[in-house]
Amino acid sequence: MKLELGNFYVKDIVFGDKISYSNGILTINKEEALSVVREDEHITEADLYIVKPGDKVRLVPVKEAIEPRVRVDGGPVFPGVTGELMQAGNGRTLALKDCSVLVVGKHWGGFQDGLIDMSGEGAKYTYFSQLKNIVLVADTDEEFEKREQQKKNRALRWAGMRLAEYIGSCVKDLEPEEVESFELEPITKRTAKINDLPSVVLVLQPQSQMEELGYNDLIYGWDANRMLPTFMHPNEILDGAVISGSFMPCSSKWSTYDFQNFPMIRRLYEEHGKTLNFLGIIMSNLNVALDQKERAALFVAQMAKSLGADSAIVAEEGYGNPDADFIACIVALEDAGIKTVGLTNECTGRDGKSQPLVTLDPKADAIVSCGDVSQLIELPPMETVLGELESLARDGLAGGWAGDEILGPSVREDGSIIMENNSMFCGDQVVGWSTKTVKEF
Amino acid sequence: MKKAILYINQFFGQIGGEEKADFPPEIREGLVGPAMELQKQLGDDIKVTHTIICGDNFMGSNTEEAVERILGFLEDKEFDIFFAGPAFRAGRYGSACGHIGKAVKEKFNVPVITSMNEENPGVEMFREHIYIFKGGASAAAMRKDIKKMADFGRRLLNGAELLSADEEGYFGRGIRRQVWLKEPVTAADRVIDMLLKKIHGEPFQTELPIPELDKVPIAEPIKDLSKAKIAMVTSGGIVPVDNPDRIQSASATRWGKYDVSNLERLEAGVFKTIHAGFDPAAANDDPNVIVPLDVMRAFEKEGKIGKVHDYFYSTVGTGTTQGEAARMGKEIVEDLKAAGVDGVILTST
Repeated sequence: MKLELGNFYVKDIVFGDKISYSNGILTINKEEALSVVREDEHITEADLYIVKPGDKVRLVPVKEAIEPRVRVDGGPVFPGVTGELMQAGNGRTLALKDCSVLVVGKHWGGFQDGLIDMSGEGAKYTYFSQLKNIVLVADTDEEFEKREQQKKNRALRWAGMRLAEYIGSCVKDLEPEEVESFELEPITKRTAKINDLPSVVLVLQPQSQMEELGYNDLIYGWDANRMLPTFMHPNEILDGAVISGSFMPCSSKWSTYDFQNFPMIRRLYEEHGKTLNFLGIIMSNLNVALDQKERAALFVAQMAKSLGADSAIVAEEGYGNPDADFIACIVALEDAGIKTVGLTNECTGRDGKSQPLVTLDPKADAIVSCGDVSQLIELPPMETVLGELESLARDGLAGGWAGDEILGPSVREDGSIIMENNSMFCGDQVVGWSTKTVKEF
Repeated sequence: MKKAILYINQFFGQIGGEEKADFPPEIREGLVGPAMELQKQLGDDIKVTHTIICGDNFMGSNTEEAVERILGFLEDKEFDIFFAGPAFRAGRYGSACGHIGKAVKEKFNVPVITSMNEENPGVEMFREHIYIFKGGASAAAMRKDIKKMADFGRRLLNGAELLSADEEGYFGRGIRRQVWLKEPVTAADRVIDMLLKKIHGEPFQTELPIPELDKVPIAEPIKDLSKAKIAMVTSGGIVPVDNPDRIQSASATRWGKYDVSNLERLEAGVFKTIHAGFDPAAANDDPNVIVPLDVMRAFEKEGKIGKVHDYFYSTVGTGTTQGEAARMGKEIVEDLKAAGVDGVILTST
């Protein structure tokens, strides 16, 4: 399987008459773009904005981030989600780099939504603060969940994907500025040199804890709650086979953009053939019931062993209850003789003294920690807010609150905020970008 | 000008050696013994105004009294920071520095800094509560240890950026916080580095050390339940409605025991839950859903168990630290043992 990602490095984004990309300038016809958004009659209000690093803009509630892309040979960017099923990870896909489509609720937020500051102190907390972003701010008629803490955000997330495909399509006939090639030989057909290297599998635990459909990450359109661990090619993930869900407290979440760019996968590709033999991805999931967690760990360890993996990396999209899946999976792999490193974030509580993961085991002796969801963050008012600032306090965002006897409300009258890192949009960057760690004080 | 006060024992306070270890607490204006070195290291902006001296045995055998007296000395003093020791490897001295340091921190909410050798038992007892710098084994390390305490104290009072426990050189207080790496290395790079080291059997450092598990072995089964006295202990916060022991609704440090010898069941309105971590409606309607006295009485009548213990024990589990929970558990166990209880049903929420 060979994937070519053809990259166009976006230096600026402007609104104009006709959608186009030329010399680093992405021009978007706003009305035409909004008509793509409004193809879904559930969208009741919609507007587009362009925000760039350094802009005095705060975005909240942010629901999703997507990299604009197009397939050269046709077909949906997200097979099984925005179009028919097809094999992802093969052929050439074109991508607009250094930019993303961000989806922001015009009013209503939820547990899983987050916040992005494009400048100031808050900008260091999210990856998307350093990108040029096309921001869709919209509302829907999904009355059933308007006041629910958990939202599927279906209309908004799908609008974001349509918009990303529409914008990506403007480079379809252009020659990319750079082509990155991702190719792994079939496992049994590798050279002796590669076979002699220590082999590694990457075990991913995307969010799938909601029993009800519509909230979890989708794999080729299939709800990850309804699957057992399976073997995947890394190219599939880099090429739109997985989309983000709408469930996890936001700093722990992996957006669709994160899946499309998965730095841990890219890093393993760099090592492949040099220091490691990258076997591929074991796509697991996160579960609620103990037997589901144990069953998934059992499948992962068996698969890794049968593949002949010497080592494994396990990454979880979440904290709290999913820590049990994470630790169980590491323990199962270690018990199978597979040397394992974990990749996660922590929740140590307001005072920093709580046990960092809900389950621990001495066999999990190698963990890279990307952040602490419970860290308090205080930020000054921002000139412009896209979305609705009050949602942080009002709508049950994981890191916000309406009132606190010591800290007061998350959103103050002057527009300054106090929140937990929990609601920084995909802030802990467990997919591999994080330059944060957690230390003892 | 910021102000500091230092606590030392009778030996360093130049009162005397072991024969003077019963020396009661005393506060002196100005500098005694190690206070002089501390003043020198702190510089001109922080003044050590007083030295407190107390015998190690006095503190050891009359802890409460010693602490109370010293807190009394401090009540009318102005100070921004409190130092104790350094205590090196001296166990009683380390424990004394810890006891008084913890009390001062709790009462006056000022930073407390001490220093002990890693083998000093005071480290494990008090590292959670105060800054304990990693010190030498004996007084030969006096200058070095005081310098570390003073440097950190000065930076702390100046509002300087404080680094992690390892980087600063004190024993970690069990507080984990996120930081950005000074030299930014992505998590993906760190994973590869750690993985390659682990694969090749080279030493590596996890970023999330797993604390030693404190596993309690499961007790032997009770041989004859029909003769056993069974007690109920709960972390579900069931108490008489006036909560006579003022058990906290979260992060509890107190427990209570309540007489049920004349009761067949716990009545709503007589008992309730004060636990803040769950919806209390069901428990308040029927407290037996948390402390199942009704069922235990039935078992008692059937002869399934010998007797229900006359008291049940209660505290609140939510937010309660493992340390406090362990302490309360030990205290409750002593009471249970004294009453000849054979078995316990432990209920949560």
